[in-house]
Amino acid sequence: MTRRPRGIALALVLAWLVVYPLALVTVDALRDQGAWSFAHVQAFVREPREWQALWASVWISVASVALAGAIGIPLAFVFERLEFPGRRLLGALVALPAVLPPLVGVIAFLFLYGESGFVARTVTRLFGLASAPWRLQGAGAILLVHAYSMYVYFYLFARAGLARVDRSMLEAAESLGAGRWDGLRRVTLPLLRPQLVAAALLTFMTSLGSFSAPYVFGGGFRVMTTQIVATKLNGDLGLAMVQTVALAAVALVGLAALRRTQGGRSVAVVGKGTAPAARELHQPLARWGAAVVGWAFAAVLLLPHATLVLVSFVPIGTWTTELFPPAYSLGNYGALLRDPERLRPLLNSVWMAAAATVGTVVLALWAGRLIVQRRAQFGRTIETLTTVPWAVPGTVLAIALATVFSARQPWIGRWVLVGTAAILPLAYLVRNLPITAGSVLAGFRQLDPSLDEAAASLGAGRTRTLVRVTMPILRPAILAGAALAFATALGDFVTSIVLYTFETRPISIEILGALRQFDLGTAAAYGVILMLISAAAMAVGTRR
Amino acid sequence: MGEPFLELRGLTKHFTGHAAVQDLSLAVPRGAVLALLGPSGSGKTTTLRLLAGFDRPDAGSILVEGRDVTRLPSAARRCGMVFQHYALFPHLTVGENVAFGIQQRPDRDERVRTMLRLVDLAGFERRTIDALSGGQQQRVALARALAPEPRVLLLDEPLSNLDPALRERTRRELRAALRAVGITTVLVTHEQEEAFALGDLIAVLREGRLEQVGTGPDLYERPATQFVATFVGRASVVPGTMADPTHAQVAPAVVWPVRTALPVTPGTAVSVVVRPDALRLAEAGLRGTVRDKRYLGGGALFHVETEVGRIEIEAPVAAAAVGAVVHVVATTGHAFPAES
Repeated sequence: MTRRPRGIALALVLAWLVVYPLALVTVDALRDQGAWSFAHVQAFVREPREWQALWASVWISVASVALAGAIGIPLAFVFERLEFPGRRLLGALVALPAVLPPLVGVIAFLFLYGESGFVARTVTRLFGLASAPWRLQGAGAILLVHAYSMYVYFYLFARAGLARVDRSMLEAAESLGAGRWDGLRRVTLPLLRPQLVAAALLTFMTSLGSFSAPYVFGGGFRVMTTQIVATKLNGDLGLAMVQTVALAAVALVGLAALRRTQGGRSVAVVGKGTAPAARELHQPLARWGAAVVGWAFAAVLLLPHATLVLVSFVPIGTWTTELFPPAYSLGNYGALLRDPERLRPLLNSVWMAAAATVGTVVLALWAGRLIVQRRAQFGRTIETLTTVPWAVPGTVLAIALATVFSARQPWIGRWVLVGTAAILPLAYLVRNLPITAGSVLAGFRQLDPSLDEAAASLGAGRTRTLVRVTMPILRPAILAGAALAFATALGDFVTSIVLYTFETRPISIEILGALRQFDLGTAAAYGVILMLISAAAMAVGTRR
Repeated sequence: MGEPFLELRGLTKHFTGHAAVQDLSLAVPRGAVLALLGPSGSGKTTTLRLLAGFDRPDAGSILVEGRDVTRLPSAARRCGMVFQHYALFPHLTVGENVAFGIQQRPDRDERVRTMLRLVDLAGFERRTIDALSGGQQQRVALARALAPEPRVLLLDEPLSNLDPALRERTRRELRAALRAVGITTVLVTHEQEEAFALGDLIAVLREGRLEQVGTGPDLYERPATQFVATFVGRASVVPGTMADPTHAQVAPAVVWPVRTALPVTPGTAVSVVVRPDALRLAEAGLRGTVRDKRYLGGGALFHVETEVGRIEIEAPVAAAAVGAVVHVVATTGHAFPAES
């Protein structure tokens, strides 16, 4: 038997799931009625609305990075460097927007800040206005949602970075005559650069691929993701392919540009890595000022969650012009559990997310074993392949998978899966590959290779070593990666809307349906359940 | 040695309940090097941080040239500091690191060159920090601290991060650089050898208090406390009672000459501290058995088990074999009040 190079099987599987669909989309964009053609490309290039949407995607993403940074970075400094009452609890609360799935966050904003939301109703009542003075629509609304949900990236990354900046760095600057601001500008921020660029990258990619907010709030304002889905629904598949390729190209350019500014490896860890102790605020005014601002901020952050819970108790058609809903009941939850048609989306989401998670974990473990433990020749390729879906907006991925799995040509790796129950779990799996593989690979890298050898020297075979040594040590990394993947898949909207069928509709699609029928209570009830399951999964995943 | 240039008066600092530094007073003449010597937890690093202005003392004051700087923030204090792990800025080059504190000076580039020449790193301006060896990093840290012409230089365990082979050389170079600049220096170390080699004055700290301050020979020959006597240099401790003001009895019929600063009456219980070089093997004296023999440069260090405990003696290699029964005589010892 000739020896195959190690890792080639996994590399092929990943290439088939990740690269092949994108390549196929590119090919389809350049074909028309069975022949090579630039017809679709020309249709795209000549249409000013396409350029507007592409530009909108770019500037919304850049503005989201700026806004998220402007909120997240100062917040990180406050919580990492100042000591005031409630710092610990608030510091954790501030990361809460992360557990709100995108679509759920969007409807919470709608109930809260929309023209018939609580805030608008309050303002209308207070000033005796005939109608709400604003409409939650267009670029402003999208940016509001993005800033709310994405500052968390900057907050968490900057905090992690700050915690690792050695105290002596700042003291060295101080002893050389640098004041507080000078030290911040010349030492702290440059040291944080890798973390800040990483946060900017994450925010940019998330905004570029953001679908829920533009879909619900966009109105006439189109970004590329909503444009693609609209074109596909109109049946103009060729143009949708070109749009998909254009968005993917922008994503790759953005990724490359930001990567360049990231500069080599992280430099924040130097010396012993003992962060300066948080500065105790002694002045009562400053102390309580910080606490009040902190709690007020936390309240603003928690309002969407609270709104969602409140609205979920509102029976359909009972809330019209009142400031607060006049009637509350558990009816929405009851109907959800009693009516099999209402329960189905919930069960669908759970099993599909679970299946996808199991699949990603298996692939990630396989990759980890090959890359880290056996140093396969194709290790680098495999690792790159697992990260590619991260750089590709969800809409692009969905369109690409829809393309591959809509024809039966097994000799070139195509089967008909669109319209079956398999396509959504597969899409979730591909989308979550970067999260799970990243976590599991990091876990593998922390494994001391000599542990394997120690187990072997004590007479343990390969299976026994795997079960008794490797898996228990990897468990936290696997759990963390799996929990994040599960939560993401459970709340997924962007790929689902392209690939769902009525039979396999997930929660997000059902939320949208309920919203269209003005059944706000049901939509909110689904949102609350989604939020709770996600939070529970994250709690399990981050437990040590 | 002239007027004190740097003065610490009654410096006290508490950390959540325990006193890290207690009522510490010291004076350093201009251009002198003061070594703060003590075991970990003795408060030496806290003292250095108080001098640098990173922490504020709870009581007491710090004076530089007679001026009170206790309340001055670190940035305005003009104390150069070399950190234990150097704390070089990893995002800046060697030249940028050295220039960090002298951005506004018109002669900045010239000054950077001068400083790098001083530490024997001429031409290293464009190197990155991670391309330097440990010893080079230490020298860059020194150049960076000296560039703004500080009034006082502070060194935190300056040699602890270097491997032993490099230490000896770096110590010589450091001493030469300090001499060349003539800067008043305070350094912290837990190694007696380092303190003796670098410090003009050595202050021994214990649990936040000053035990003794003086030159190396002072501390070695006239230790003020039993702690100093045992911490500075090797020494054996045996219990005894004062026979007369200059002799102590350590065993029946064994009387050793001792120095003591105490007005003692005969019969007082004392601890007698004797250095290995103040002991010798003789025909008669304190009887013991050689348990171990470790070769030193000229002779050997013998561990002798006696009825009053283990004693270390320096003697010619051939003086005795392991297992042999020997007799120990002291030429001089130090007597301190017995610790009860």
